[in-house]
Amino acid sequence: MGDLYIAVVCSSNMNRSMEAHAFLAKKGFKVKSFGTGEKVKLPGASADRPNCYEFGVPYDDIYNDLLEKDKAYYTQNGLLHMLDRNRRIKPCPEKFQVSTERFDVIITCEERVYDQVIEWFGSKRSIYNQPVHVINIDIQDNHEEATIGAFLLSDMVTKMALSDDLDNDIDELLHDFESKCHRPILNCIMFY
Amino acid sequence: MSSKYQPGSNVTPQSQLVQWINEAGMAEGTKKANLLRKIVEVLLHQAPQMVPVYMENILSLVNDKSTDVKRQVVAFIEELSKAFPHLLPKIISQLQLLVIDSVIAVQKRAIQAASIVYRNVLLWICKESAEVSEMQYVWEHLTELKLVILNMIDSDNEGIRTHSIKFLEEVVLLQSSNPDDSDEDFRLENLPTHLPFLKRDTMEEESDHIFQLLLKFHNSQHISSVNLMACMTTLCLVAKLRPKYLSSVVQALGDLHTTLPPTLSQSQVNSVRKHLKMQILVLVKHPSSVEMMPQLMQLLSDIGMTQQEINKAVPKERRNKRLGEIKNGDTPAKRFRIDSPQSTVGSDSNSNSRSDFNIFDEDNPQPIITKATATEDSIFEGLNNIDNVVNLVMSTLSNNLPSEMTSHFTSTYKPIPNSGSKVQKRALAKMLLALIKYEAPAPVMPPLLSDFGTKIPLLREDDEKITLKNAVAKLQESTKDKQIENAVSKLMEETRQEHLKEEERKTKDKEKLIPPPTPTVPKLKQRVKLLKLQEITRPIPKEVKSKLMIQAVDRILRAEKESAIGGAAQIRAKFITIFASSYTSDIRELVLNYILEDPLNRMDLAMSWLYEEYALMQGFNRHPVTLQPKIHEKHDDNYNQLLCALITQISERGDPIMEASKDVLLRKVYMEAPVVTDEAIDYLKHLIAENKSSNLALELLEELCIMRPPRSHRYVAALVGHVLSENEEIRDITLKSCVKIYKQCTESAKKVIEKNGLLYLGFISLSTPPQELFGNRYMNRPWTDELYKMCLNLVMALFPEKEELIMEIARVYGCAGAEAKRCVLRQLEGPLRAALQPAALRPAFTALLHDCPRGAETLLTRLVHILTDKAAPSAELVRRVRELYATRVSDVRFLIPVLNGLSKKEILAALPKLIKLNPVVVKEVFNKLLGLQNPNNEQLPVSPENLLVALHLIDPNKADLKYIIKATALCFAEKNIFTHDVLSAVLQRLAEETEIPVLMMRTVLQALTLYPNLSGLAINILQLLIEREVWNNKVAWEGWLKCAERLGARAAPALAALPPRALALLPPHLAALCPRETPYTPNPIEPLPPGME
Repeated sequence: MGDLYIAVVCSSNMNRSMEAHAFLAKKGFKVKSFGTGEKVKLPGASADRPNCYEFGVPYDDIYNDLLEKDKAYYTQNGLLHMLDRNRRIKPCPEKFQVSTERFDVIITCEERVYDQVIEWFGSKRSIYNQPVHVINIDIQDNHEEATIGAFLLSDMVTKMALSDDLDNDIDELLHDFESKCHRPILNCIMFY
Repeated sequence: MSSKYQPGSNVTPQSQLVQWINEAGMAEGTKKANLLRKIVEVLLHQAPQMVPVYMENILSLVNDKSTDVKRQVVAFIEELSKAFPHLLPKIISQLQLLVIDSVIAVQKRAIQAASIVYRNVLLWICKESAEVSEMQYVWEHLTELKLVILNMIDSDNEGIRTHSIKFLEEVVLLQSSNPDDSDEDFRLENLPTHLPFLKRDTMEEESDHIFQLLLKFHNSQHISSVNLMACMTTLCLVAKLRPKYLSSVVQALGDLHTTLPPTLSQSQVNSVRKHLKMQILVLVKHPSSVEMMPQLMQLLSDIGMTQQEINKAVPKERRNKRLGEIKNGDTPAKRFRIDSPQSTVGSDSNSNSRSDFNIFDEDNPQPIITKATATEDSIFEGLNNIDNVVNLVMSTLSNNLPSEMTSHFTSTYKPIPNSGSKVQKRALAKMLLALIKYEAPAPVMPPLLSDFGTKIPLLREDDEKITLKNAVAKLQESTKDKQIENAVSKLMEETRQEHLKEEERKTKDKEKLIPPPTPTVPKLKQRVKLLKLQEITRPIPKEVKSKLMIQAVDRILRAEKESAIGGAAQIRAKFITIFASSYTSDIRELVLNYILEDPLNRMDLAMSWLYEEYALMQGFNRHPVTLQPKIHEKHDDNYNQLLCALITQISERGDPIMEASKDVLLRKVYMEAPVVTDEAIDYLKHLIAENKSSNLALELLEELCIMRPPRSHRYVAALVGHVLSENEEIRDITLKSCVKIYKQCTESAKKVIEKNGLLYLGFISLSTPPQELFGNRYMNRPWTDELYKMCLNLVMALFPEKEELIMEIARVYGCAGAEAKRCVLRQLEGPLRAALQPAALRPAFTALLHDCPRGAETLLTRLVHILTDKAAPSAELVRRVRELYATRVSDVRFLIPVLNGLSKKEILAALPKLIKLNPVVVKEVFNKLLGLQNPNNEQLPVSPENLLVALHLIDPNKADLKYIIKATALCFAEKNIFTHDVLSAVLQRLAEETEIPVLMMRTVLQALTLYPNLSGLAINILQLLIEREVWNNKVAWEGWLKCAERLGARAAPALAALPPRALALLPPHLAALCPRETPYTPNPIEPLPPGME
């Protein structure tokens, strides 16, 4: 399989996918991260008033925007720190559905995101007939879980990278991994 | 693209290409692959005019070693097929090679490329720009390639299967006509009709077959989850784009939902179900699904979506359409098709309606068909009435049920998951309505059920096989027509046939095993029945299971003789040990009882069981997972329990056979058991304490200690306490054992014995005897000699083995009471004497002398005493004793043993004290001084003569006269020593004393009594005393008179010598002797002894 090309996908391409992106990149994997949501949503001053941005608005801009809005609050809840981390990794959140790249493995962090990814594949015809493994591992959307999740994903991806024939091994690999990480895993194969 | 570059600039890419191609020729592996990628990139996009020139350079790498390089070649072929279709004849055979490459990754990439090439080939043919022969050449190769990939759906490699599914999807889509005017670049209708090798209808037929193949693959039992999902996606896509397949696909999805492959794990099941749902949702949203909307919605609700969710997912206009459909009762047949998709294969459009009904089992709607206008709602209401349903069921049971179950029923019946729910009732009502509508003209239809076999073109295994065979055969036919069937495809066909046969056989086997379903479940469905062990078997109740188990073990136990005859005795024993050790307590008991029935012969079995338990306890053996005991069961205890059970049963059963061999058996168990547990030891203790076979128990303990040294310190601890037993016999045996063990055993065991010995020794310093002496019963009894003796016996027994104990004994002795001391001395006497036999001063005793514990001086004395008993004290000893006498021990008795080692001066100084002692001791002292004890003629420090003189010269203030008299008496008693000569010497020396010793005259008298011939000397003394005016000394004078009296007439000269004033003092009888009548002494004066003058 050579070098695996991996996409990590969450809803807003902010926390979970970026944490995993950072971690996997550090480990030397070829990785990109995406969000599948309509917009990039970040917690706001209250639950019913989130901060929404379009995909493509640079992390830097979002950072400055929040800094202006309430520096203390967003420092305290870790958003600024997260954005700071993100802007060092890549310029802006990317929407999965507009990506034209072809990955070997797509990892989603939430069942809804997995659904959206599958739906997207279902909505278009495959041109290249190149298979891609779509795998979902539920990761809660908070800092701690994102960190733990990134570790898990790194474990899993390392195992995948070690496989000579991932297509053939994936069933068993995921089954083993599932029993190890005690989280339900969804997976299927899609075609570009 | 080249237009972007200036005309001259393509020189650079060209030369660059040449350089890279040369480099690639030299490079290996990844580097080569990277170069190749650059070459392909530049060649295709910057120098496309050079493609024909350099193409061969790249294609030749098809046999390269590197996987990456080969994949690049595939990518190149793929690109070429699109951008330069006129080159297809040149590249198609290369692709064919790559598809059957040895490396799986290359194969997969090639299959992936093949689907794209396939499309491009068709597009290229449509253009009709090439020669017919070229097109034919390409098409033939492509058909071969297709066959190869078709067979790859059975590959062992999952990835290859996945890729081939995708390829087949492409083929199905390409080779079937598209009803809509969609924007697809290729349409079957566009294919030129004049080409002899390319027939549209043949292609469509082939596509049909491949689709059936995919369907079959999709619903096969051994499909992997990834393949299943890939196949599902493919089918749904096909259904979306080719509506003619929609119903089959929906049917297949429904079947899949009810019978998921049994090999999937739980999370795979979740993934598959989710995927199924997603695919159906995708399908529902597609316009072409309108026809099948009710089935799809039913499926969604079966999957578990609520009505609201479904409504949300399904576009509104579709739902409306659906409603309208129902109201019109429009084509319900299509909605209820659940027969096999194969039934429609090759049949005309009517085929649908022909097979269009379900099995309506016992819900034969007789009561309802009488109604002229039955609607779905009215039937639904009817079903809500229990009476109606009961009647329906009852009448069906009595009228319409065939006497034998049909094979369809057994193979297709499946329990209804949501029976009784509203949805199910509604579905049932729909089906009834459909039945009524179609079958109403025939009012009574009892033969309905029996007709099923013929009427319903159910998917039989045969059919299926034929269908699949057809698929391949048709494919091959198309090639055969062109006379290009080759060996490869023949071989493939054979393999395929074999595979099919195999599968058929498997399915038939499976069918045989399917049990009759329980007849209580009231609904039939034509679905494939899966063999599930949990469904066809009921777990045996626990009691029955354990009973059976026990009976089985019992049979094995009873087969002792048979197994011995059959040579299986060892295996049997092994079985029994495993049963006994790994299963329930009932079995343990059973085996234990069996062993105890004839313990003598079955002891080996018991031992091997014991070892098994031991191995389990120590974790050398593991219980097999299936036999894993419950967690709360304590495993380690089993060994102990078994050991104790064996021991107690052997020793307490009390039947005569057992009694006789008890010793042997117990000994065997104790000696051979892998570990003797504390409880087993406690049992021995208990035996001793209860005085039941205590001798045996003691022996066993001793043997344990000696034979099993590693744990002997534990065994000996159990033994040693019995030295305090109230039973004398036990005490003695224990004592002997202890000494024996002490001599032979390990250091740790020794320590235990010693510790206990010292502990018991310590008891004697207590004011009252501790409980231990009474078997731990509380008793308030005073000390007796017996008790003291008990406390001392162990330490005394050990003393000869370890003389260092003397220090400890001395220490305790120092703190003990007088009675205890006495006992110690008495007890120690023997051992001490034994120890000091060669009367050398050993280190232990030297230590004691050096550092005598306070209060133990008497003990020390005793020691010294024994030391000097037989032999003269060594100078060292004398020195030590002297030192001690000076500093610590004021008792003069301490000196006695070493008296003869002391100087004369010391002896004489001590003499006044010595004579004051107990007469016996005084006697001993004199014996020593006079050398009576050791006749070895050693040099005595004080001669007898000196001794007697010294006695006389003792200051009466220091010692009472009475003691001196007794002492002198002792001397006189030794006639052998105090001979005539000695006495005379003594008397003379006494006479010379300036002061007349008080006892002098008494001694003279005694000497006279002993040796009458000393009278001469006596007379001399008398005369000598006259010179000293003896009459002035009252005591001496009395003695003088007595002496004179004794001498009688012989004393006359002395009397005569008396001056007149002394004469006056003479008593009358002596005065009579006075030689006044005879003025001279007639008796000659005896000569003076030498030295007297």
